[in-house]
Amino acid sequence: MAQLGSQQLTVGTFQKHLLKRKQKKAGKRRMMLAGLTLTSMVDMFSLLVIFLLQTFSTSPELVMVTKGVTLPAAISAKELEDSPVMAISSDEVFVDQKLIGKTDALLKDPSPLMSKLEELRVQWQKAHPNQKFNGIISLQADKNLPSTTVSMFMGMLPTQTYATVQLAVISRGGT
Amino acid sequence: MASVGAQPTKGRRKSLDAELNLVPFIDLLSMCICFLLMTAVWMEIGGVNVKQLVGTEAPAQVSNTYELDVKYVTPQALEVNLKRTGAKNQVFKINGATNEARMQQLRDDLKGFLASLKLPAAQDLRAQMGQVITTGRVTTKAGVTYGEVITVMDTLRDVGIVSLGLVPVRE
Repeated sequence: MAQLGSQQLTVGTFQKHLLKRKQKKAGKRRMMLAGLTLTSMVDMFSLLVIFLLQTFSTSPELVMVTKGVTLPAAISAKELEDSPVMAISSDEVFVDQKLIGKTDALLKDPSPLMSKLEELRVQWQKAHPNQKFNGIISLQADKNLPSTTVSMFMGMLPTQTYATVQLAVISRGGT
Repeated sequence: MASVGAQPTKGRRKSLDAELNLVPFIDLLSMCICFLLMTAVWMEIGGVNVKQLVGTEAPAQVSNTYELDVKYVTPQALEVNLKRTGAKNQVFKINGATNEARMQQLRDDLKGFLASLKLPAAQDLRAQMGQVITTGRVTTKAGVTYGEVITVMDTLRDVGIVSLGLVPVRE
């Protein structure tokens, strides 16, 4: 509330008075004061929040897609288990985001890959002393790679007792 | 500040229209949107499990179940072999113009095979398929991309064959 002499004015009335005075001073100039309709903005925000909450995933992201690898899509994909990640791009092979070597070179001499896989298995065994090695490994391979190349690398994995291979795919939803 | 409702009426009677301060509400919504956008997973990564053959595995015993072999004869043609100990192999040829057409034919052939066994009707056909065909192996060929092999495995998993393997093939 604002007091002007004996006349009691509400803030709204006072603002109107100021606005009228400004309009008089401005003469024919167009009024620059604009009202903002917040209802539509709140509606849009609410819709966005609902959409994002519906698509919110509580499961942690276990794997990062390696650069240069385009994963294939599948409808029957299962949730990935935590395991070492081997990635095969068109010309390089990575294990847990670390470069192991060139794809062609590793197909001829896989010893750097084998030693890295063995190291990971030993690490796992140290971390879980009373458990049998689960033998799970995730494999990310580019969808345009020759399948024979991927099959050759997959054939090497059982030699280091990695018997279960989780082929990483982009989940398209389905079953 | 935004308000809800009309202007208060003149007179002594107090207006029933309440003013709602939207600013904190907008603040809260903005924070929610920022948090959800930052934590959103735009690309969901899943896995197709494959069991690689290990030399120490015991040989298959005589049973009523089938083993499935899907072999790429050419990059555009597949041969499906259904094996059972003591029974004649069943062979299907799959030739399709596109990969999608081939996968649809593979799906239809497997469903047709299951129907031909005249088993008691089951509600869950995928589970029944998994009981009849216990393992599936995919043999690839030069000229076939990894993406195409994944679609074969995806199709097999989708019809109910979950225990899959990929046969190593040298180029």
